[in-house]
Amino acid sequence: MIRGGAARLASNRQAINELNVFPIPDGDTGDNMYMTIEDGSHADGQTLSEMSKSVAQGMLLGARGNSGVILSRIFAGLAKGFEGIEVASQKQIEDAFEAAVKEAYNAVPQPVEGTILTVLREGVEAALGSSDIDEFFARLVKGMDISLQNTPELLDALKKAGVIDSGGAGLLCITEGMRDALHSDVIPELPQEGGPAAHKVDFSSFTEDSVLEFGYCTEFLLRLQRSKVDLDSFDESVIKDYLSGAGDSLVFFRDGSIIKVHVHTKTPGDILSHCQRWGEFLTIKVENMTLQHHENNMDQRFKKAGKPLGIVSVASGEGLVRTLREMGADEIIEGGQTMNPPVERFIEAFDRINAESILVFPNNSNILLTARQAAALYDKARIEVICTRNLAEGYYAMANIDTSKTVEEIVSSLDECLEGTATGLVSVAVRDNEAGLKGDWLGIYDKDIVCSLPSKNEALLKLASVMGCSSHDVAVIFRGEGAGSDEAEELLVAMNRQYPRTETIIIEGNQPVYDYILLLC
Amino acid sequence: MLKLFTDTDTDTTPQIAAEYGYSLISMPYSIDARTVNPYEDFDSFDYHKFYDTLRSGVIPTTSAISKERYISYFEPDFAAGNDILYVHFSRAMSNTFAAMDQAVAELREKYPQVRFEEIDTKGISIASLVIVREVGDMVKAGKSLDEILSWADREVDKFATYFFADDLRFFRRSGRVSGLAATMGSLIGLRPIIYMSPEGKMVSLGTEKGRFKAMSRLADEVARLGEDISAHHICIAHTDAEDMARELGKMIEEKFGKLNIEYVVVNPTAGSHCGPDTIGVSFHAKNR
Repeated sequence: MIRGGAARLASNRQAINELNVFPIPDGDTGDNMYMTIEDGSHADGQTLSEMSKSVAQGMLLGARGNSGVILSRIFAGLAKGFEGIEVASQKQIEDAFEAAVKEAYNAVPQPVEGTILTVLREGVEAALGSSDIDEFFARLVKGMDISLQNTPELLDALKKAGVIDSGGAGLLCITEGMRDALHSDVIPELPQEGGPAAHKVDFSSFTEDSVLEFGYCTEFLLRLQRSKVDLDSFDESVIKDYLSGAGDSLVFFRDGSIIKVHVHTKTPGDILSHCQRWGEFLTIKVENMTLQHHENNMDQRFKKAGKPLGIVSVASGEGLVRTLREMGADEIIEGGQTMNPPVERFIEAFDRINAESILVFPNNSNILLTARQAAALYDKARIEVICTRNLAEGYYAMANIDTSKTVEEIVSSLDECLEGTATGLVSVAVRDNEAGLKGDWLGIYDKDIVCSLPSKNEALLKLASVMGCSSHDVAVIFRGEGAGSDEAEELLVAMNRQYPRTETIIIEGNQPVYDYILLLC
Repeated sequence: MLKLFTDTDTDTTPQIAAEYGYSLISMPYSIDARTVNPYEDFDSFDYHKFYDTLRSGVIPTTSAISKERYISYFEPDFAAGNDILYVHFSRAMSNTFAAMDQAVAELREKYPQVRFEEIDTKGISIASLVIVREVGDMVKAGKSLDEILSWADREVDKFATYFFADDLRFFRRSGRVSGLAATMGSLIGLRPIIYMSPEGKMVSLGTEKGRFKAMSRLADEVARLGEDISAHHICIAHTDAEDMARELGKMIEEKFGKLNIEYVVVNPTAGSHCGPDTIGVSFHAKNR
């Protein structure tokens, strides 16, 4: 039954992640609940009592996140209810579920209604007095479903985001899976779980200038030590009281000498040192919730409430992709000269951004048309395609976005600033050509090869002169993956000597194919 | 006897202070959770090292000083019965003056016979230094406290300061410049031209593209507003960008002929707000 519940949850975890807005929109409820129940699904035992105890123990150690910890308490409550019972009567089953409700509420110092707790309680209340287990589970599922649909009425955060509670939805999935497993002799296979290490965390979402907005999700198992406390008479409410004052979203319970804690805090170090006075840690997990939050933005699992302005940019090259993200691109569509993304990619990106207005930077003349077509097809947001014909123009235009202005003003100012810019390219010749030899570096401006020279720096300098560098105020050079930083440093010196009145800026673009892209503005 | 005070935010070094007999109040900054009081915690400012640290991405913070600290600076002269003139950086830029006001109020009560006056330079760094020097010159020339105060009433607004910064992260973080465009323009060489307003605040006047244009703009502002420049102190400040500062000096001298320009490294506390590779000029003007 547990595996049935886990399997049902596994196939719905993405959807559940997307619902997650409370207490913080970190979008990992489905994952946390799944990892928790998965750890309980390897249990064994001869009797119901042994089995449920083993499940609860597995989940205790594996519990992750707020909802995971509460889930583990629900099963701990069931295990308590089934203690010493080989085969349970209908009355004993119902008692065990009531014990589960109690245990779950006890784990949270300040229970919030409209969450997994409410869904469990109202479901169980609806199922009490059933004649057999089939009726019980049928009424339990129905009661939970009704309760779940009502959660937005109880919790404003849900109502604002237009979603139902994610933890409650996860619990309903599990219960449905358990119900279906009642009469099934198939033991479902569970997907392999990579664990949190498999998560891709984007560290660039928390920079030198970031403000710690959400604090750290801090979870640990503390084993009370005889050398530090009197185990028999120790009252864990001392720890609970301390933690209630030291952080938010506290979930806390004791199982024998083990204390399980989940808490959100801006100063995890203080909490950890403080708790060590009572015991030693079995496990500790501390995660910056801004990263968790952002990771989900990047994974597009978290449905954001509509924001005023979104940015989609087409790019390839790891350095440029990172740079464009840092500059505020919400979505990067992989693409470029040799890989033109289809209209669907744009539509998907628009959907994920969920903004009132979206600026699109196609960054390639071949992609411009696709972007315009996507814009014409899309009716859920105002889409403005900025006519950037290459990555350099895209970068330049994005740097010029003044977010304090209206969309009309931004669009017209960007069109204006792109006039008067010029872009040239340096790339190695792959075959002999009319201008020079294979292996030479070509300077390309306006689709014409303007020079072919034995070094990429010489080619760039010649290109700059052909493009009239001295009459521009700024030269931005994007260094491609084929150009070394020492070479670029030498190039900077040469540019400054030759064009003292033009400011040269070198950017690590790491783009493929073009060793240098030169943008004069 | 008249006792002069100024603070390290005015770019006054112990050497300059000694020239005029200023006592120096050290305005602290914090870097890597360590608070540093300029010229109390070090003797000479290793500005290459400091601004290189900022280039590596560290953004220091600055803090107000306590009432007690102000008392410890001023009380010896109150006790000695000296008149005190404090030429300080802009009140509009820091709430440290609230603590100073409390300190001065207490001291006045304790030593009612002492006269405490202040000149708000309505600027920081060289915008203040030019006034610190002018006041010092007047004291040396035997001007009375009242003569100096009435000069300041007329003249503080006639010292203009124009500058630009290389990396706007520093100003964004400190939030001390108004009118900055909300763009990433510094990535592509857009430089906001900032001036010190008559209210003693930093205000952006729009951007220039590229360093050369930005420097030309500063020189143009000197030409447009300058009044009686050669008869007054003129300073060019930089945050570890001496070559650029000298080039700006040349551009200005091309317009005015040879001037006695003082090149100054911005003190670390003010430099924490503008970041490395900032340059600016302070000069005597028709108006700010």
